[in-house]
Amino acid sequence: MKKKYIDMILRHVLLAFLAFIWLIPIVWLFVTSFSTYPGRNTSTFFPEHWTLNNYKNLLFAADSVAQFPNWFKNTFIVACCSCIISSAFVLMVAYATSCMRFKMRKPLMNIGVILNLFPGFLSMIAVYFILRTLNLTNNHWGLVLVYSASSGLGYLIAKGFFDTIPASLREAAYLDGASEATIFYKVVVPMSQPIIVYTVISSFLAPWMDFVFAKMILNAGISSKWTVSIGLFNMLDKSLINTYFTQFCAGGVLVSIPISALFVIMQKFYVEGVTGGSVKG
Amino acid sequence: MNMKKLTALLLAATMTFSLAACGNPEVAGDGSAPAESAPAAKAPAETAPAETAPAQAEAPAEKQDVSLRLWGAEEDQAMLQGMIDAFKEHYADYANFTIELGVESESTAKDTVLTDIEAAADVYSFASDQLIDLVNAGALQSIDEMDGALQAYAGKSVADIKAANVEGAVEASTYNNTFYAFPLSADNGYFLYYDSSVLSADDVKSWDTMLAKAGEAGKKVGMTLASGWYNASFFYGAGFTTGLNEDGTTAIDWNGKADVSGVEVVQGMLDIASNSAFLAVADGDISNQIASGQLCAAVSGTWDSIAAQDAFGDGYAATKLPTFTAGGKQIQQAAVVGYKMVAVNAYSQNAGWAALLAEWITNEENQAKRFAEREVGPSNKTVAASSEVGANAAIAALAEQSAYGVVQTVGGNYWDPTGTFGEMIAQGSLARDDAEAIQTALDTMVEGVSAPVQ
Amino acid sequence: MEQVKAAFGSFFGAIGGFFKNFGNAVAKGDIFVKLSLLWMGAGYCRRKQFIKAILITIFEVAVIAFTFGFAMDYVTKFSTLGTVQQESVFNIVTMKNEFNDYDHSFLILLMSLVSFVVWIIFAVVYLNNIIHAYELQKLAESGKHINTFREDMREFLNRKFHITLLTLPVIGIIIFTVIPFFVLFLVAFTNYDQQHMPPSALFTWVGFRNFRDLFSSGGLTVTFGYAFVRVLAWTLIWAVFATFTTYIGGILLSLLINHKNTKLPRFWRTLFIITIAVPQFVSLLLVRNFFANNGIANTFCANIGLTGWLRDIGAISTSYIPFLSAPGWAHVMIVIINIWVGVPYQMLIATGVLMNIPTEQMESAKIDGATPRQIFVHITMPYVLFITGPSLVTDFVKNINNFNVIFLLTNGVFTTTNQLMANSQAKEVDLLVTWLYTLTQDYYNYKMASAIGIIVFLICAVFTLVSFNRLIQGDREEAYR
Repeated sequence: MKKKYIDMILRHVLLAFLAFIWLIPIVWLFVTSFSTYPGRNTSTFFPEHWTLNNYKNLLFAADSVAQFPNWFKNTFIVACCSCIISSAFVLMVAYATSCMRFKMRKPLMNIGVILNLFPGFLSMIAVYFILRTLNLTNNHWGLVLVYSASSGLGYLIAKGFFDTIPASLREAAYLDGASEATIFYKVVVPMSQPIIVYTVISSFLAPWMDFVFAKMILNAGISSKWTVSIGLFNMLDKSLINTYFTQFCAGGVLVSIPISALFVIMQKFYVEGVTGGSVKG
Repeated sequence: MNMKKLTALLLAATMTFSLAACGNPEVAGDGSAPAESAPAAKAPAETAPAETAPAQAEAPAEKQDVSLRLWGAEEDQAMLQGMIDAFKEHYADYANFTIELGVESESTAKDTVLTDIEAAADVYSFASDQLIDLVNAGALQSIDEMDGALQAYAGKSVADIKAANVEGAVEASTYNNTFYAFPLSADNGYFLYYDSSVLSADDVKSWDTMLAKAGEAGKKVGMTLASGWYNASFFYGAGFTTGLNEDGTTAIDWNGKADVSGVEVVQGMLDIASNSAFLAVADGDISNQIASGQLCAAVSGTWDSIAAQDAFGDGYAATKLPTFTAGGKQIQQAAVVGYKMVAVNAYSQNAGWAALLAEWITNEENQAKRFAEREVGPSNKTVAASSEVGANAAIAALAEQSAYGVVQTVGGNYWDPTGTFGEMIAQGSLARDDAEAIQTALDTMVEGVSAPVQ
Repeated sequence: MEQVKAAFGSFFGAIGGFFKNFGNAVAKGDIFVKLSLLWMGAGYCRRKQFIKAILITIFEVAVIAFTFGFAMDYVTKFSTLGTVQQESVFNIVTMKNEFNDYDHSFLILLMSLVSFVVWIIFAVVYLNNIIHAYELQKLAESGKHINTFREDMREFLNRKFHITLLTLPVIGIIIFTVIPFFVLFLVAFTNYDQQHMPPSALFTWVGFRNFRDLFSSGGLTVTFGYAFVRVLAWTLIWAVFATFTTYIGGILLSLLINHKNTKLPRFWRTLFIITIAVPQFVSLLLVRNFFANNGIANTFCANIGLTGWLRDIGAISTSYIPFLSAPGWAHVMIVIINIWVGVPYQMLIATGVLMNIPTEQMESAKIDGATPRQIFVHITMPYVLFITGPSLVTDFVKNINNFNVIFLLTNGVFTTTNQLMANSQAKEVDLLVTWLYTLTQDYYNYKMASAIGIIVFLICAVFTLVSFNRLIQGDREEAYR
């Protein structure tokens, strides 16, 4: 029993040490966001004087540089729309490839796998001009399309998950006279909670993280139309960083809170979804 | 192309040429259509005698709807909005304006514009080093062509505008004998800030004494070396040059010999960089370094004047760059003098009004306003000569430095090789005594800079 | 490779069968089937499927209108990519510039591709339409029931539900992935660069010149070949390290957390998850400031004397530790920081896998007297490796294209001291993708960027095909039912 005791202590000490290392930058982000000194603090870890002003400025005193409430709203809308479209696309493709049998199924799946290797931003300029032709640049719908239109390619994990749903369930429903559409809505989707959560979280996060596409598409310089990521990224511009660095940190904290909450609450489903899919695919 | 369009174009062409011809003596010679051939086209300018501003052009019976987009620096937004409102009011008789103001940093304007010129703003400001790339990409409207419009509405000819601004600014706005942008400010250069409580005015006359004194005081002198914009100052000082060839490649002679040899300049730079009182600052990090308080002098520009005032307190002072030792001589360090300018997008839907807006935000009154609100050093001669501007330490230092200033004319391939070269000096990866290695490094840099444009 | 061959075989087999059906339909069809060759609605009209006839006629008219109203403007110039240079003159009366009818090479390229795609889709529908008309004819001849429009529609929720499901996603993929991919592909064969930038200048086809420049060290681009080899090498090294360190780290961490001796596993997990919840551009930019030449890490190292010690032993020549600004240091730091970013994510996945471990096997092993170590080596590890093996491949490909980590950590901080690299705008820490980004964003060298993009794609595709035929094959899916 003594051995177990030592093992336990060692484990927890190691974990605490690792967690400490992992959290240093996050803690730094957090404490810096309360600093009175607006630029980058390079000499001490903790700020010398503490204030809430960075948050106050960010949330209530929008200037032309920092329009955080607008950005947050824009990003939230874009994230919601693209999350709905992406999730729908992923589930649709996954169902078609997993539960149905048709002639072009395998060729399509193979093409999908190969295309998915192609990182989208290599062809950013082409995407930009396509959107411009459709008159969708400087438009949040354009951004939604960029994030969600090709999402069907990410069907593999969801398909792997659907593959694990026993075929007998669907066959029983089929014998009861249900159509494929009914089986999709009434049988498969309700059973796929983990993978839906996984898809929703991953697609919801993309707009919060991306700054390359967003910057290219929202290129009219109207800062109130930006998303959080371009806005915060812009604060690190050479001419602004020394006045806005702490506000950048505050913005980072504000964005992280809802995302962390999402992760923590959905942790269980997320884990099940990602493994259920990748495991059995 | 159909005939109708062609005729319209030809007609318009002759009109413009003739207008340009009667307004601008420089263009008169090379206009393909002689002015006499299109008498009708002269009408707008002639019926509106250019005596009193701004009402030379008759107010049209039906006002045009003109929508424009303007990009300006983040820090200028509120001020620019004020200028826009005044512009709208001033020209309210001629058109209904819808002017949208957007944010685009002057240092990155080129990147955004060139991604999609047609979607860029009608009027935008940028730093002078971007002019050549912008012109080569066809992004800039020739202001010479706008002469007629400027005379008719603003009551100024292009020649007037050129005369009103300092020569360097006009030179920097001109490429291939065409005037491409309205000078906005003349403070985009660098000089020396120092703390007069640590260093005396005599100490900062040369790098040697300055570094020695700073070392004694336990402080440092900061300068950015890893940028072709800063490190060129040593070479320009020693009489080396850069330029552009006909085919768009960059001409550079730094591996040869001017007042002293290139190797000797590099050795002089290495002497400075290896001094423990010298701090090689990463590009863009100088403000932060000044604020950190470990410096007693720094090479930077007016954008850091507030940081320097905060850091040096009562000791705040500014002057021209010091001399450095190369090949046994004391050589005055030169500086790249940069300007900021406002240009008109060549693809603007309302190029004429865009030019008038660009003229408006760079005119004497607004440059004075810019100085009053943001301490931006004016390019306008009258404003620059005013007592308020003269009293500004940073701008005075800049003026002092401008005697040793160089307008940097380089192509896109200049930046990476020279930045790398500066970084090599900063990191000490070249040995001071190995003249051969230094020569090879210079040759490689020159080869990279003068490589064909891709 | 067998499976790959089989996959492609089935694809071309399907196409062959399609054309055979079409030939058959044309040869054996009645006059209305043949008339459908001209008017696509003819066959449906004959079988009294009027709504379908109207819809398909609208489609046909729309495609014809698209062809002559839009596509022909671009496709006819596809071989030259445009010849009319932009010119403009200023008209003082209207205060506007008047432009000639100039060609925009990039739009010609893009719109031609769009047109080709539309025509291919049209061709498929067209051929299918004939086959379908013939099927209807056969049904009618044998006196069988011909579906009403309502019945046809219902089919789309049932037997043809896959068409309903796939249409929108496939359209999205075609517009936002397939067409851009082909644009990238074609640009690599043009001279689209800063000297040839639309709309003011035109670019045109140059064949394989860009690839020649990339692989040779002579010619126009003196050092491109040099830089390419080095960037490629680092890209692969990086991908290997980044993939394996985070993978192993993730498994170890999850084993640590999920061990029965660890209290509050959920709490520990949450602590690590927080780091992935902070957007990368925030956390990585922070870390970059943290390790900057004058950042806190350096202040700290100088205070404890580490900097001085490193200087004394000659490991650094600067007054600071160049964590992210000197090759070697930066390479190691990037991999370490990537562990920080990637391990929590891998930990989540591994946790899921460990939770699903078949317990019977473990129990029986325990009864047989196996030690925990034996159980771990012989049961847990093989299981985890077997399950997550395929995801290693995907991670590897993702890391080859890991733009964020490299860009955010080194852009604007790292200045190369290798002059030959600098001469082709590359840095020692660049991945192919970040180099490509610099080339397009700062140097507008789209032709070279495209050539590099194709190479990246080929590397990823070959790698995946070779090591991942398990996924391509897709045959195991039935085994889990």
